[in-house]
Amino acid sequence: MADIVRKQVVSVEGLTVRERLQAMDDSAVVTAFLGGEERAFSELVTRYQTRLLNFVYRTIGDREKAEDLVQEVFIRVYRHLHRFDRSKKFSTWVYTIASNLAKNELRNRSRNPLVLFQTVQKNFQDEDRPLQFEDTTSRPDDMYRKRHLREIVEESVAKLPEHHRNVFILRELEGKSYEEIAEITECNLGTVKSRLNRARNSFAEIIAPYVD
Amino acid sequence: MDCREFCDQHLAFVDDTLAGIELVRMQRHLAECESCARQDAKIRRALLLFKNLPSIEPSADFSHRLEARLRECHDEQLASAQRNLRFGAFAATLASLVMLGYIATTLYDHASVPSDLVMAPVVATVPEAELTPITTPAPAIVASVSAGLTIWPAALFAEQVPVRFAHSKLELANYTR
Repeated sequence: MADIVRKQVVSVEGLTVRERLQAMDDSAVVTAFLGGEERAFSELVTRYQTRLLNFVYRTIGDREKAEDLVQEVFIRVYRHLHRFDRSKKFSTWVYTIASNLAKNELRNRSRNPLVLFQTVQKNFQDEDRPLQFEDTTSRPDDMYRKRHLREIVEESVAKLPEHHRNVFILRELEGKSYEEIAEITECNLGTVKSRLNRARNSFAEIIAPYVD
Repeated sequence: MDCREFCDQHLAFVDDTLAGIELVRMQRHLAECESCARQDAKIRRALLLFKNLPSIEPSADFSHRLEARLRECHDEQLASAQRNLRFGAFAATLASLVMLGYIATTLYDHASVPSDLVMAPVVATVPEAELTPITTPAPAIVASVSAGLTIWPAALFAEQVPVRFAHSKLELANYTR
C-alpha cells in the first residue's frame, strides 16, 4: 500500500512535485501555481520568506511587525498573482509590495507615537535576553562585543533617511541591481545612484566613531 | 583625476562596474591621495559590517500563521466565486424569463391581430320593429298641453309632443329608428 502511494507521489521523471518545483525558476513556479498547482505557492514562500523578512526588518527595525508585513506580502501575492505581468521579474514585484508596505508602516509609525514606544520596549526586552542564547560556542566577552557591534550597525542603518535606507538595503543586503531598485522604489536610475552614494557615505560617517 | 571626480565615480568603483581605463585612473588616484584612500577604506569597512549582519529567520509559528491566513484567503475567494456564480445563474434565469415573456407576447399578438385581414362584405339588416300603436290614456288632455294648461310634466312628453300634437292617434312607424 505504501509503495502504491509512493509511486503516485513520485512523478514519471523520478522527481517529486516539490523537487520539480525547486528546480524551476520563479517564472515557471508562478505559471505552475496559476495552472492550479497549489504547492507552487509554498515554494515561492520558501524562496522569499527569509529574504523579505530581513529586508523589511532592516527597513522598519521591528522584528514582530516585520513578520506581520511579510505575511501580508504573501497574502497580497496570493490574491493578485493572476494580475502579475509575467513579462517582468517576480522578485521585483514581490520586493515592490514589501517596500510599499514597509514605507506605509514607517509613515503610520510617525503619526502614532505609541508604536514608537512599543519599538523601544521591544528593544529593551531584546537586551534583557540571556547572553547564552546568542552563540553558545563563543566566549561571553566576544558574544557581548558581537552583539554590541550588531546593535550599532542596526542603529546606524536606522539613522539613515527612509528613502536612502531603502535603496541602501536593497543594494547592499539584497544585492539588487540599480535597475531593479529603480523599479522597486519607482525612482529613476540617476536618483537611485545618487541616493545610494549618499547613503553609503552617511552610513560610513555614522558608524565610523564606533568602529575606529 | 581630482578628488571630486574620484567621489563622483566612487559608487561604480566600489560596485566594480567601471571600465578598464577609469578603474586604473581611480586606483592611481587612490595611491596618490591619502584623504580619498581613507574615505574609500571607511566606506568599504562600513559596508562590510553591514553585509555581515546575521540574517534573521522567520519564527517557528510563521508558517502555521501564514498557512491559516492563506486558507482563509482561499475560502474567501471560493465563496466569492460561488456568489458570483449564483448571481450569474439568477441573472441568466431572469433574462431567460424576460425573453420567453417577450416571445410569448409577440406570438400572441401575431395570432390575434393579423395585419392583412380581408373580410367578405356583409349586408346588415335590421329586423323590422313591430308596429305598436301609441296609446295615450287621455289624448284630449295631451292635446290641451299646447293650450298652456300644465297638467302633466312637460318632460314626460318632450319628444312625443310634436307627433302627438299632429295626430293623437298617429301610429309610430319609424320611431324606433
